[in-house]
Amino acid sequence: MPTTVEIPKEKWTGKVREVTLGATPSNGGTRGREVVVGGEATLPFLHFEGAIPHPPVVAVEILDRYPDDWAAPLKEVWGDVMKDPAAWARKAEELGAELIMLKLTLNESGAADGARAADVVKAVLGATTLPLIVRGPGQAEADNAMLVPVCEKAAGERIAVGLCEDKNYRTIVAAAMANNHLVIASTPIDVNLAKQLNILISDMRMPMERILMDPTTGALGYGIEYTYSVMERLRLAALSGDSMTQQPMICFVGEESWRQKESRVGQGVPAEWGDWHHRGVIWETVTAVALLEAGADIVTVRHPKTLELVQSTIQKLMAS
Amino acid sequence: MPLSGLEIYKLLPKTNCKECGFPTCLAFAMKLAAKQAELSACPYVSEEAKQALAAAAAPPIRLVTLGTERSFSVGNETVLFRHEKTFYHEPGLALRVKDTDPALEEKVALVDGFSVERVGMNLVMNALAIENASGDAGTFAGAVAKARAKTKLPFILMSDSPDAMKAALEKEGGMKPLVYAASDGNVEAMAALAKAHGASLAVKAETLDGLAALTEKATAAGVEDLVLDPMPRHLAGALAAFTQLRRLALKKNFRPLGYPIIAFAGNGANSPEEETIAAAQAICKYAGIIVLDHFDAADVYALMTLRQNIFTDPQKPIQVSPGLYEINSPKPGDPLMVTTNFSLTYFSVAGEVEGAGKPAWLLVTDSEGMSVLTAWAAGKFDAEVIAKAVKNFQVESKINHHKIIIPGFVATISGDLEEELPGWEVLVGPREAVDIPAYLKLWQ
Amino acid sequence: MPVIRLLPAEGNPTEVTASPGTLLSEAIAQAGIALHLPCGGQGRCGRCKVQVQKGTVRRRSVIRLSEKELEEGWALACQTLVQDEDLVVAIPPQADKLSRRIPSEPRKVPRVELPISCDWRSDPPLRRVYLDITPPSLSDNTSDFERVVRHLQPYLEEGGQVGISLPMLRRLGKILRDADWQVTATLEYYDWTTRRQGRRPRLIDLVPGRRTHELYGVAIDIGTTSNVVYLVDLLTGEVVDSAVEYNAQIACGEDVISRIIYARRPGGLEHLQKLVVGTLNGLIEQVAARNGIQPTDIQRATVAGNTTMIHLFLAIPPEPIRLEPYIPIINHPQPVLAAELGLNINPDAKVDCLPGVGSYVGADITAGVLATGMHRQEELTLFIDVGTNGEMVLGNSDWLITCACSAGPAFEGAGVQSGMRATEGAIEEVWIDPHTGEPTYNTIGDVPAKGLCGSGIISLLAELFITGLLTKGGRFENRVGTPRIRQGEHGMEYVVVWKEQTADGAADIVLTEVDVQNLLRAKAAIFAGFSTLTRSVGIQIGDVQRVLIGGAFGKYLNIEKAIQIGLLPDMPHDRFRFLGNTSVQGAYQALLCPDLRDEVAEIASKMTYLELSADNTFTEEFMSAMFLPHTQLELFPSVAALLTPQP
Repeated sequence: MPTTVEIPKEKWTGKVREVTLGATPSNGGTRGREVVVGGEATLPFLHFEGAIPHPPVVAVEILDRYPDDWAAPLKEVWGDVMKDPAAWARKAEELGAELIMLKLTLNESGAADGARAADVVKAVLGATTLPLIVRGPGQAEADNAMLVPVCEKAAGERIAVGLCEDKNYRTIVAAAMANNHLVIASTPIDVNLAKQLNILISDMRMPMERILMDPTTGALGYGIEYTYSVMERLRLAALSGDSMTQQPMICFVGEESWRQKESRVGQGVPAEWGDWHHRGVIWETVTAVALLEAGADIVTVRHPKTLELVQSTIQKLMAS
Repeated sequence: MPLSGLEIYKLLPKTNCKECGFPTCLAFAMKLAAKQAELSACPYVSEEAKQALAAAAAPPIRLVTLGTERSFSVGNETVLFRHEKTFYHEPGLALRVKDTDPALEEKVALVDGFSVERVGMNLVMNALAIENASGDAGTFAGAVAKARAKTKLPFILMSDSPDAMKAALEKEGGMKPLVYAASDGNVEAMAALAKAHGASLAVKAETLDGLAALTEKATAAGVEDLVLDPMPRHLAGALAAFTQLRRLALKKNFRPLGYPIIAFAGNGANSPEEETIAAAQAICKYAGIIVLDHFDAADVYALMTLRQNIFTDPQKPIQVSPGLYEINSPKPGDPLMVTTNFSLTYFSVAGEVEGAGKPAWLLVTDSEGMSVLTAWAAGKFDAEVIAKAVKNFQVESKINHHKIIIPGFVATISGDLEEELPGWEVLVGPREAVDIPAYLKLWQ
Repeated sequence: MPVIRLLPAEGNPTEVTASPGTLLSEAIAQAGIALHLPCGGQGRCGRCKVQVQKGTVRRRSVIRLSEKELEEGWALACQTLVQDEDLVVAIPPQADKLSRRIPSEPRKVPRVELPISCDWRSDPPLRRVYLDITPPSLSDNTSDFERVVRHLQPYLEEGGQVGISLPMLRRLGKILRDADWQVTATLEYYDWTTRRQGRRPRLIDLVPGRRTHELYGVAIDIGTTSNVVYLVDLLTGEVVDSAVEYNAQIACGEDVISRIIYARRPGGLEHLQKLVVGTLNGLIEQVAARNGIQPTDIQRATVAGNTTMIHLFLAIPPEPIRLEPYIPIINHPQPVLAAELGLNINPDAKVDCLPGVGSYVGADITAGVLATGMHRQEELTLFIDVGTNGEMVLGNSDWLITCACSAGPAFEGAGVQSGMRATEGAIEEVWIDPHTGEPTYNTIGDVPAKGLCGSGIISLLAELFITGLLTKGGRFENRVGTPRIRQGEHGMEYVVVWKEQTADGAADIVLTEVDVQNLLRAKAAIFAGFSTLTRSVGIQIGDVQRVLIGGAFGKYLNIEKAIQIGLLPDMPHDRFRFLGNTSVQGAYQALLCPDLRDEVAEIASKMTYLELSADNTFTEEFMSAMFLPHTQLELFPSVAALLTPQP
């Protein structure tokens, strides 16, 4: 008595927008390649149901200064290249990074040095052929003071800048628009806020093809479930045809994961936590994988081993 | 298909007699729809209504319990996405050990005793899979007996041979194991064994058609507690197969595939890390039992944490953990502010302080995820709660002053708080988070 | 102990001693000077401003005080502590803060339709009968009371008995003799325990002469903000007169939570009870005097009000209402004698408080449902009563579900920088020129502007949004370079009226970004209430066939503007109907007709209460509605059509 089971497929009416990072010389920039994310017409990696034209990509996070406050396993594995953002970016590219995410910081005296920021961005662009993501220190005034000159100096390179938040997006969006860049719209783990910010940015006439959204990443053990569900909901809304949720999603995995005690602390923790260095990599990898399953299009990581593991996972998940 | 509250209401007596313990028939119907009440609580429900409701209420995925003393249950899930309701039953984590493994007893003891505490919960392994790698019934039964002497964990007995399975079941100790697995050639024999020993039965086939055929044979043979292995060949295949099974059960109410799924994370993995990644996917996407081939504390701890996170009830308001938060690396002399643990409240306060670039201590109280005004109105953010947080989080050991800034909305509690915290000065901060930067500029 | 010299605006200076750490507001109260604390002494409203002219004090909070005011010594009395120094404190006039007069509309006698099913005449609960009693004599020595009962026999069942209270009995002999044995008796047949006409009526009133053509009752609505009394002729069924006044409890807090907290103070509960009874007595005396009767001629009172108001009216400690799991002491109080409450009507009259559903859905809503009649109709109806709390009921003859959400007082003009109540001088409608940003406005009474009332605020918000001066997120965007959008003390703000053009010339009338956020929260709470209620039973907002709007708010609301800001759902305007004060209308129906009184109880027991705080969907819906008009623009097609791209 053979049974025939019909494969259950959803009929989605919408798909994620395609967003292109970086511009090659033919498109007005200097990048060696352009990276397209988005375009999914189904839930993550469900190839039996719809097209997934572009695999998610992994960005490596670097800083504009030596990261004294990063966990020891990270400093050990990267070594001296961390002292020079350009060298660091070059190394990341060699290791297979698909994007570079450069985080700008305040200088020793706590000031936002826009000129220096622009120089660092220029140097990193010179050292790598990869498209670039640039984030400010996360304070409204400093972000504006640094990202505006960055946008100007990198004009035409189609970098992604952020973070644009509900309270501070206009200056950054205007600078990105004027210089042909992308913006990252960041909201605190809430579907409605994410959608609202997309609407507000779009109301400034920013083309939607130039907006990435950051739903705010919670690391494994530190709120990942909230991020996970918000991302699933945003993706379901996007596939159901809600135009204002159809932006590709970026998750700052490395930063959040390596901030947690499990990754940061090697001494005086329970033996059941296992080896420190390995734990740090696994914590970052599991965070990244879970968020990829929820719909992440770009994950940023810190550890080279994570880069390798997540990339091979994406490769396997893209094999239909 | 589950019925809505109004649909169920139409089947109830509509007398509002309150005997079910709910104030109205509609309230009861809504609780029934949310599966938070039992129909038997209504003494006046008609036979016809009972049948209609029972059909709608039957769980689309059967609840299967393994083990006795250290039992765990999986299945009974009602949604594809956790935000739609919640995921109810955490997948069981098992370690696979071969019956030929000389270190079998050590591994059993390790799995049995592993326990790690996280946010007040003890996270443990749930089962042991013993594989008949030797192909020999005696070796298999011997290994099972040795393992049983070391643990009360439920077993997953893995053999394609009914003879070996029979021998192992006799040594297993009657602790409701899972028989793995019935396939095309042995389903009758395996089902008979499972039935005779009160065991659950896993069925394996590479196609959904094949699986459905097997479950129908097994149920015909009287075995109801089934577990499905769709035998995926790689990561993407597992995601597709598990998603299809879950959708068929929930959206099509397809009974032959309405059972929990077992995943073998090590199958197809080229390294322990790849196995951990496969297990992480299985936790997110629909596995009921996950079998690992290697045991590394860091990996297992990460997986258990993910499992705990994904299976948290999302219906509860999004909360941050209560505690003393450091913003912009504060020094002992920097201001101390207090707010509630509703995530959006926390994010807006922390965001403003962070954005202002001012160092500050932010004390977050346990106010059950309510915003400041709601928590205050409900007595969850009063002087007592705040004073308790000051003590519990040892605020006095971190700062060198006795000033605490409370939200402007609860100015009224300042007197009570000064009584609860003798020697402290209570300052009333702004009502809106946006005014915090300006307020902090004036501090000291 | 420090001595505080108080300089009231009117009256003589007084001195009071207070120990260090005493609140200035308490010291002022000790001195017997009335200082109004509209927010209940929570440091929220800034209305208890006093000027410390000498001595130092400690200010816990300086909310709503400008830097200049601080320099001049102003302080919030409820947030300021006496230190160890003597003080001189000036108290500004309180009168203007008290005279919140309700607009004096030409007094119309409200006409309330009764449902056809109600046949109150056939078996009235109260009857007036004239008795020409044979005086006693040596040969007929029956006692006074038995004599009255004997003459009442035609109105009783065979061998029937009559109840009488002790105070009535004490007055009986004198009334009979003074009236020369010709009296009019009032009998109450209704038995309050069975809620049926009883066999043993109560003799509740006896007056000299033939006065059978007069029989009065009152229907009362105790609102958190205003109280309403209808004087009802129980013989004709007509509403004879009505009167409305602010609830005097406002001085102890503007919302129910503030009042519940006030009630915790020693003597606080009794004080609140006296205040509301005082307001009601004032209203009763007003309508009685206008109609040439004595308050004691009123033989029955039926009261509707929210659960907290009913608790306070009966002086039942309301504390558990505000604490999880939010349980009232009682939903369906037994009737009490007017004398027990101090209500100035016939002391033997029963005061019947209508039943409520729960802590946040009270008798005002059950009475409101009765008045709407939605519980008798098949049409799916949404009934909303927007006040400080937004309560709403969804359903039809088959089922009713209800919820309450806290909207806050923003739509009543409170908690908004230039907000005021809908009295003379309040801006009630605004238009803005999209090219210049210049406003045109109307004020109530066509006089110079004093501030913005609820409808003016809604109108202004809608205009700012539609003209693109305000983003969907509620932030100002000066597209047109108008000086009216500027950086104010509390962030960006829009100047509606420059101070030179205001009534008092003291300050610009503005709407600030903080105000806008408050208003967004208020409208989001109400809209989220609709969405959650409809979702809880699995229907769409669009399935609702009628929207009935009760509460005083309804009278002034411009539907179009309310839809533009996303306060009301986007539906054809003919689906909305304004009903005015449905609470007092329901109380009137229940007063007149025992069957309708029973219906209120039925409504209360049938209504399913949805507790929003236990529901994550509400938070979701709230966040979704915290946008102009809503995050799901497709829910507001008429607004979407208006939002054509700006050049």
